[in-house]
Amino acid sequence: MKKLTLKIASIALLTSGLLHASTLDVKKECDLKANGIEKVLATAKKYNAEAKKKGLEFRRLEVNNSGLIESVEEALKTGAKEVNPKTFKGKPSKTKLATDYAAWRACSFAISALTQAEEAKSTWRLAIPGDGYKY
Amino acid sequence: MLSRIIKSTALIALTTCALNAASFNAQAEKDKAEMIKYFEAKFQDPEKNKNTFFPYSSEDELKNEYSKGLKHDDFGIGSYSYAKDAREQYEAIKEMPPYEDDIDAGEVLYKKPFANGKSIATCFPDPAITNIYPYFDEKRNELISLTQAINECITSNGEKAWNTKKGDMASLQAYMALQTQEAGKKVDIKIQSKAAAEAYERGKEYYYSQRGYLKLSCATCHVQGAGQRVRNEKLSPMLGSVTHWPVYRLKWGNLGTVERRLSGCVKDQGQVPPKDTSAEMKELLYYMSYISNDMAVDGPDIRK
Repeated sequence: MKKLTLKIASIALLTSGLLHASTLDVKKECDLKANGIEKVLATAKKYNAEAKKKGLEFRRLEVNNSGLIESVEEALKTGAKEVNPKTFKGKPSKTKLATDYAAWRACSFAISALTQAEEAKSTWRLAIPGDGYKY
Repeated sequence: MLSRIIKSTALIALTTCALNAASFNAQAEKDKAEMIKYFEAKFQDPEKNKNTFFPYSSEDELKNEYSKGLKHDDFGIGSYSYAKDAREQYEAIKEMPPYEDDIDAGEVLYKKPFANGKSIATCFPDPAITNIYPYFDEKRNELISLTQAINECITSNGEKAWNTKKGDMASLQAYMALQTQEAGKKVDIKIQSKAAAEAYERGKEYYYSQRGYLKLSCATCHVQGAGQRVRNEKLSPMLGSVTHWPVYRLKWGNLGTVERRLSGCVKDQGQVPPKDTSAEMKELLYYMSYISNDMAVDGPDIRK
């Protein structure tokens, strides 16, 4: 009975997203060959929305990860092999990436934002002089 | 007898309050003392401390390009406290600082009447108050930054809020910072409640948490990395990092607020920065400001 209760609790936690951040595997979740670009993009959208909500969204060279996701979505509609995402100000960026790679990066950025925030909860004190940081 | 009881009760209540108030900042005081100890040890003699603090620098570089024997107050001018060549350039620019016109513009803004006849001076009768921000407003149960306070003053008088990063906001803050500096004031951040202590702790966690696609924390560059060379620049120290704002950065070509710089740092880590008046930004600023407590306000200033 106890085991069953534990299993149910674990499933409930996983479903609600409380445990996923520490258990997600970028290589597995963002594998284009295994999952296909649509699924990888869906994963990127799902986790980036959560990262954004928590103030953890990645930005690289003026491009927010949500901008990168939008550009891949657009490319999937038009069949473009390359994306040119917009900057966070809505202007064309200098970033030009192959669509497949952009989807992988969007997925990787979305998940990493969450996993490293989870990891930081147990590591941040290691950098404080007089606390975890010894010299 | 009754008056004795009343007096004793009042004394106990006052003592309890005083003890509680002191205990709210106990951790922050410890953090501050440890930070001073760390920076003084690091820059006591960079050449001698090569293995501990500067493993990637050459002995020649550490011997010839770094100042040594630095003490707490020295860090108020950032990396110019230890980078000899940059210090020379800094002092040369300070002879005719590029922000003088901004200070004048700030004074005009401070006195300029709003449409309703009031002015910023009505909200801040004493402009020499930049050393107490951000403070924890117990009634509102939130931190208030200088930038926020100025914009609240403006909007509560029916005017449109200013850009929080540059322009009029930076000019006004330059004038107020100069007044604070000339009054000989030091950074004076208070932690007087449990809620304020919690806000401080959240700011501290933000400072030390690795973030962005580069997985850097603020501390990576400005605590452990302070003084280390990135290309031709030596990274600035955390200690004293908020004493001199607003700053005229040569990179910007104009004056900017501390929020502008912090946003830039978070962006450099590879993350979307928090809004300038968000809880995250104010908590980060609160932590950084507390660590610089008792250091002289020396804004506005210049940086590369």
